[in-house]
Amino acid sequence: MSRLRLVARLDIKGSNLIKGIHLEGLRIIGAPNEYALKYYAQGIDELIYMDCVASLYGRNHLGEIIKSAAKDIFIPMTVGGGVRSVDDAREILRAGADKVAINTAAVLNPNIISKIAHQFGSQCTVVSIEAKQIGIDRWEVFTNNGRERTGIDVVYWAKTCVSNGAGELLVTSIDREGTRKGFDISLLKAISSEVSVPIIASGGMGRPEHLVAAAKDGGVDAVAMADILHYGRTDLSTIRSKALEAGLMVRNFPSLEVPS
Amino acid sequence: MDLTPYGLPKNVVFCKYCVISNQRPSSTIEFAQKISESKKTIDFDDEKVCSACRFNDAKNLDINWGDRESNLLTLLEKHRKGDGSYDVIVPGSGGKDSAFTSHILKYKYGMNPLTVTWAPHKYTEIGWENFENWIHVGGLDNVLFTPNGKLHRYLTQQAFLNLLHPFQPFIIGQRTIGPAMAAKFGVNLVMYGENQAEYGNNIEENGTPIMDQKFFSGGDIGSLFIGGKSVKDIIDEGKFSLNDFSPYLPPSTKFLKSKSVEVHYLGFYVKWDPQECYYYAVEHTGFQSNSERTEGTYSKYSSIDDKIDMFHYYTTLVKFGIGRATYDAAQEIRNGKITREEGVNLVEKYDLEFPKKYFQEFLDYIDISEDLFHETIDKFRSPHLWTKEAGEWQLRNPVWRDQALN
Repeated sequence: MSRLRLVARLDIKGSNLIKGIHLEGLRIIGAPNEYALKYYAQGIDELIYMDCVASLYGRNHLGEIIKSAAKDIFIPMTVGGGVRSVDDAREILRAGADKVAINTAAVLNPNIISKIAHQFGSQCTVVSIEAKQIGIDRWEVFTNNGRERTGIDVVYWAKTCVSNGAGELLVTSIDREGTRKGFDISLLKAISSEVSVPIIASGGMGRPEHLVAAAKDGGVDAVAMADILHYGRTDLSTIRSKALEAGLMVRNFPSLEVPS
Repeated sequence: MDLTPYGLPKNVVFCKYCVISNQRPSSTIEFAQKISESKKTIDFDDEKVCSACRFNDAKNLDINWGDRESNLLTLLEKHRKGDGSYDVIVPGSGGKDSAFTSHILKYKYGMNPLTVTWAPHKYTEIGWENFENWIHVGGLDNVLFTPNGKLHRYLTQQAFLNLLHPFQPFIIGQRTIGPAMAAKFGVNLVMYGENQAEYGNNIEENGTPIMDQKFFSGGDIGSLFIGGKSVKDIIDEGKFSLNDFSPYLPPSTKFLKSKSVEVHYLGFYVKWDPQECYYYAVEHTGFQSNSERTEGTYSKYSSIDDKIDMFHYYTTLVKFGIGRATYDAAQEIRNGKITREEGVNLVEKYDLEFPKKYFQEFLDYIDISEDLFHETIDKFRSPHLWTKEAGEWQLRNPVWRDQALN
């Protein structure tokens, strides 16, 4: 039985939790930590906080949100967006994050991955990869919340990140993001067959079956969910029982009342 | 000297709610536009708030959208045909806004729309896919009208050289095609999506749903100007005939009245939100956003079907100091999608970006050299807006350095 972590992904803009389709048309959903607490109470395994306007301001704005979340939430939190240096990473970890995710800065200079990994350990160094399909079994790395192309091949880039010390990869399919059409299994498989570190699949989760395919065929260790949870299309206990039925090992968690 | 090119206000003032400046022109009657024309600009009130933001307040607070929808139902009832023939013309490209308008008219309100498209100058790949999906996935009928490309290229060239307004011939075609097709198919109702008046025309025009006929119907050929040239003169030069111009000739008011064609905006009847149109179009007509942001702005889902679209906004930047990111950010601030602070940052980051991607295709399309392009651009740069610093043109008063507000 393969283990699978269930992760809630919270994309943040300013003080709001937001959600788009193909990372565009960002709808305001609500207050990030209300959602974080709800998913925590329902037994989510991890949280990802992504500041999606960080690159516009050149810095991550999530410090306060993370500090306040860290008071009540005791599961791993990954925080990304606007991480440019070891100091940025330190600040985020001090605020209460367990892992930092890097995208743009790593593309500009892959050494930042090894610097952060060297300082804080690979276990907390996540590289976030925004992938867009450009041909049959070919994907290109994008930055800036899926708005800028880089010309870099995704599989090549994933291997580069790992050899630089990345301990985990968050792989977002821009084509599937927000569409509820399922994860891009070929993309996940192409990466998971080439690297040994854990992979979090992101983009496309619309039904519990999608997560089964990501784990069994895509070879990932974790799945990130946003739309399906934010819009309350399914709850976590249903997702969890479907995963167990399919023979995936997910954390057993008694459903709790959602704090109101 | 208080005189500025295009009759723009000498001092640049920015709206304190959005990021638009008082340099923004209102919609004009494109057929009459001559080289010397001075423009009406967006109204600002004493509190430095633009009329588009004031209208937006009204949209959120004063307008009873329930009443408006009943008005829509009355209008649709009046035009509805039970014999299976078309009863409403929806001009559009298959972008998110026309996709929403046409699809909701057919599948929510039970009308029989015929969509009509005035072809873009040069389709982008994503634009063509979205156009096709609009019809194939959305389930609508469409007439794609492509004007004589040789003439359209010439007019676009003249409009660029004489007015620095390369999109003018396209705008004329787009405004003419709806009413013209309505008359042709015996349909009395034309429904556009959003009201252009929302974005800075005279606020009095927002109270009426019917598109002012001055925008699409004109008089006789002697009074028609396209690309800053009289149509009569172009025909006299001998390269093009009156027939070549027929798609551009505005149906006369008399003709439209005899056919009783009415032009309305859906945005008058239902509360318009471009972002929600995106969600609707993705869901119902297979619409997809672009793979990357458009040059000159941050968005990747609006106006993505034409390869030379970015040159329209580049020329508004040169003439009025207002580029694409400013238009996008102003709209998103009004609709509550982003804060003003974020908007200002987006404008600073993207507004002045030169559109490189399709530059050569644009030059080829209008058949001019790169030198002539730059020469023309610099000729139209408004001196009260631009200054050259270290060899680079910079805005004198960009919104991100606006002392009055920031």
